[in-house]
Amino acid sequence: MRHPPIGSVIVAGGGIVGWSAAAALRRQVPRLSVTVVPIPPPPDALADRMPCTLPSIAEFHGDLHLMEADTVVRARSGLRLGTKFEGWAEGTADYVHAYGAYGQPLGPASFPQHWIRAAGSGTAAPFDEHCAAAALAAEGRFAHPRMAAGAQLPAFDYGLIIDPPRYTAMMRALALHLGAVEHHGTLADLRLREDGFVEALVLAGGEQLAADLFVDATGPAALVRGRLDRAWEDWSEWLPADRLLLTSSPAYPEPPALDRAVALPIGWRFEVPSPVRTSHGLVYSTRHCSDDEAARTLHRAAAAGPDEPAIPIRPGCRPEPWLRNCVAIGDAAIACEPLEWINLHLAHSAIDRMVAMLPDRDCAPIELWDYNRQTAAETMRARDFLLLHYAIAKRPSDPFWQDAASRTPPPSLAHTLAQWRSRGRLPFYEEETFSRDSWAAVLIGQGVLPRRTDPLLDAIPPKRSAEAMARLRQAIRRAAQAAPTHADYLRTLSRQVSR
Amino acid sequence: MSSQALSVLVVGGGTAGWMTAAALARLLPGRARVHLVESQEIAIIGVGEATLPHIRGFNERLAISEAEFMAATRATFKLGIDFVDWGRPGDRYIHPFGTFGRGKGEVGLHQYWLRMRQAGQSVAEIEEYSMACMMARMGRFGPPSADFERIESTFNYAYQFDATLFGPFLRAHAERMGVTRTEGRIVDVELEATSGNIEAVRLASGERIEADLFIDCSGFAALLIGKALGEPYQDWSRWLPTDRAVAMPCRTHTALTPYTSAIAMGAGWRWRIPLQHRTGNGYVYASAFLSDDAAAEALMRAVEGEPIAPPRVLRFLAGRRNRGWVKNCVAVGLSGGFLEPLESTSIYLIQQAITALIELWPERDIADADRDEFNRAIDLEYDRIRDFLILHYHATERSDTPFWDHVRTMDIPGSLAEKIDLFRRRGRVVKSRESVFLEGSWIAVYLGQHIMPEGHDPRVDAAPADAVLRSMETLRQEIVHAAERMPAHVDHIARYCPMAA
Repeated sequence: MRHPPIGSVIVAGGGIVGWSAAAALRRQVPRLSVTVVPIPPPPDALADRMPCTLPSIAEFHGDLHLMEADTVVRARSGLRLGTKFEGWAEGTADYVHAYGAYGQPLGPASFPQHWIRAAGSGTAAPFDEHCAAAALAAEGRFAHPRMAAGAQLPAFDYGLIIDPPRYTAMMRALALHLGAVEHHGTLADLRLREDGFVEALVLAGGEQLAADLFVDATGPAALVRGRLDRAWEDWSEWLPADRLLLTSSPAYPEPPALDRAVALPIGWRFEVPSPVRTSHGLVYSTRHCSDDEAARTLHRAAAAGPDEPAIPIRPGCRPEPWLRNCVAIGDAAIACEPLEWINLHLAHSAIDRMVAMLPDRDCAPIELWDYNRQTAAETMRARDFLLLHYAIAKRPSDPFWQDAASRTPPPSLAHTLAQWRSRGRLPFYEEETFSRDSWAAVLIGQGVLPRRTDPLLDAIPPKRSAEAMARLRQAIRRAAQAAPTHADYLRTLSRQVSR
Repeated sequence: MSSQALSVLVVGGGTAGWMTAAALARLLPGRARVHLVESQEIAIIGVGEATLPHIRGFNERLAISEAEFMAATRATFKLGIDFVDWGRPGDRYIHPFGTFGRGKGEVGLHQYWLRMRQAGQSVAEIEEYSMACMMARMGRFGPPSADFERIESTFNYAYQFDATLFGPFLRAHAERMGVTRTEGRIVDVELEATSGNIEAVRLASGERIEADLFIDCSGFAALLIGKALGEPYQDWSRWLPTDRAVAMPCRTHTALTPYTSAIAMGAGWRWRIPLQHRTGNGYVYASAFLSDDAAAEALMRAVEGEPIAPPRVLRFLAGRRNRGWVKNCVAVGLSGGFLEPLESTSIYLIQQAITALIELWPERDIADADRDEFNRAIDLEYDRIRDFLILHYHATERSDTPFWDHVRTMDIPGSLAEKIDLFRRRGRVVKSRESVFLEGSWIAVYLGQHIMPEGHDPRVDAAPADAVLRSMETLRQEIVHAAERMPAHVDHIARYCPMAA
């Protein structure tokens, strides 16, 4: 072969991202030798530390041949159907963004169009009552998506609420089982070749670790990739928050499969109920609030003081995550607040892409170009979805929120907003993380309704869509009430495993 | 409701015009009052006798019965295109409507195939792992299975039909749904002084027809969008130098193939499209390299079966209008752009413009957002097809004529050069989700025209070689047996959709 293949990989970073990358590389390309230098994730490595994951994690686990016996029962995870957004837009009710279809198509127009028309005449029930996952979650219940298929309800999916330390330990054990090698050490320096490629990591004490490819999973500091260049695309012109404060409180006896994102005058806070603890976080901006005031706010809400100092967030991404023979993954590639929990999702997606597009040893620019192109497209739209929540928030008396809503959105989000406002259209973008239903759930949830509806809706008279919507809500309600509570579901799962 | 209805004038009664009129009348009955003006004096080009599978969705939305449509347009089934002599004289490969292998799983079948080839193992040609290709080679056709576990679900199909009959067939549908029609030739287009919108068209008879929205289906003449509104045309002939076609139908003497043939010629290529009653033939060539007379002669020498009509020359220019929707005028069909028929995209592009127009149906006071989104969507379609077409010409080793020397050595768009380079490394296809030609199409053309990757996806090395060989052979046999169980194409047509005698 003209181009020798990559034979050895060093992964820098001993958090979830680093161990997941090592496990995936060993599982998919067993001939690679993979060494992990388990540098502990710093406080601001959110992909390694946040408890919530998107449904995509199931596929990631599937590729690793991991079962829920490991990822849920043994790692003590909970299940999550979505997030409840509270107080994001004055004059609108709280809403659930769940991972599933909202409504069912009727005639040639999409379901949101039926709902928008009904809303225009003041006869619409809340949008999320047409989503099986949202209804289950609101009732504190859980059912496997198989249930929806069987009952012909809108399909849905679920993510996990992980316990990051347990989950990291599980992923480490798997990676080692698959043949990755752990090599402890403190990173002191890099040795670069003349052409700028990384030749070796230099550890404290002088030991050198050479490899063909280096994966940087060390968090925002990007201890390896950051030494090659410092290019950074800054998002702070759109995202006002620059701090995250974390704490935890004891687990609820009956935790729901739903986390909360509560808008506050100074920012927003999350509350994530896992079977082992309840995690709390507060996202705010030092321009509008002191660290002390933030600490008091979180304390009041969580009945627990902060666990650690406030974590600085510098939202943005590395325009070229893969440069020469070094690829940044996780917070080393993209850093942002944990709204909508994209941190670990984007890391998983990057790991999958790295494996799928593994280049030759020369890391030819053409191969990296396609990796970086796809990553950039995905990152841009994930960012847009996150920005969306701020751009359409309505809390006019709070300076933080005024500030957020006053920012000019980037062109891609502006286009989506213009198309939605004009006619309820959600334009297509490549590499979109969130489905059109997710976009609609947030837009409608925060009270942004289009000026007109899709003309194809004319084919179905309003009365027919109203009847169909009422039938659907009833079927969803019935199914939700028949489903076990989330806690019962987890207990059953656990019994099945121990049997 | 009628207050919401726009008056729509469709200018031109060819395939584009009647497809547009029928679709608007059917799908937007309360929003569009559709009138169509056409002239018998103007010949219909009737391009695109061969189609892409997307046409099935169009017909379904219009509640058109497949068998009825096929009988009326004397249609046959199409499983792909057989490319002859493209990479090198003597070559032959099929671009199938379907996947190689089952099309499932993280890593495509072609990656396993590459691994085995590179290891010096003898594996069959790639087309033997494609259900669509094997049915095509055997001259068989039956509808695909809806059970995605079955190998019979891994292909799709389109039609080869008489485009001059498709217009009239749709006209009957459209008129039943209330479309009205005027016979006449347009002599003038009146613009509103302040807005620059089209106000009315004037016919040779003196009749004046006003409308809120004008659909330009006037073909290359582009009476509205080009002549009246002056929207510029982007010339792509530096990449797609063919600019003429000479067409000549013949009686069918050979088998009724369930595929279209595209046979490379000295200054372009020749199509062969078998219909129920005749075979369509044409030679697409570059006038800079071949005279019309020489092209007609070459075509007459090449066709099988006796000619039904004398050769007829068409002229065109590859490219597209800068914007397809300007003011209150939407270009559908050739007025909006032209990409040569090599991959049967003409009717597909008509369909995409109609779909986008319906999705973005405006109010009387047209919003910029509607126009912009339409133009964004249509640009994307043209740009993607353009690169795919250029690939066919550029990926060749032919140097036997000045034409092939030119296309082999010409500069190509950077977007295509990147795609080719990427495939050459490890057989990776640049991914796009909503695209007319998906991974299988690119693989077929790359491999069929000797863009042979140097490596393969490292994930396929995980399984032992003999296990991979065994499962590839099992798959190949499953495909052969499934294809052999399909009826002969000609028998299926005779049973399902025979034309009226």
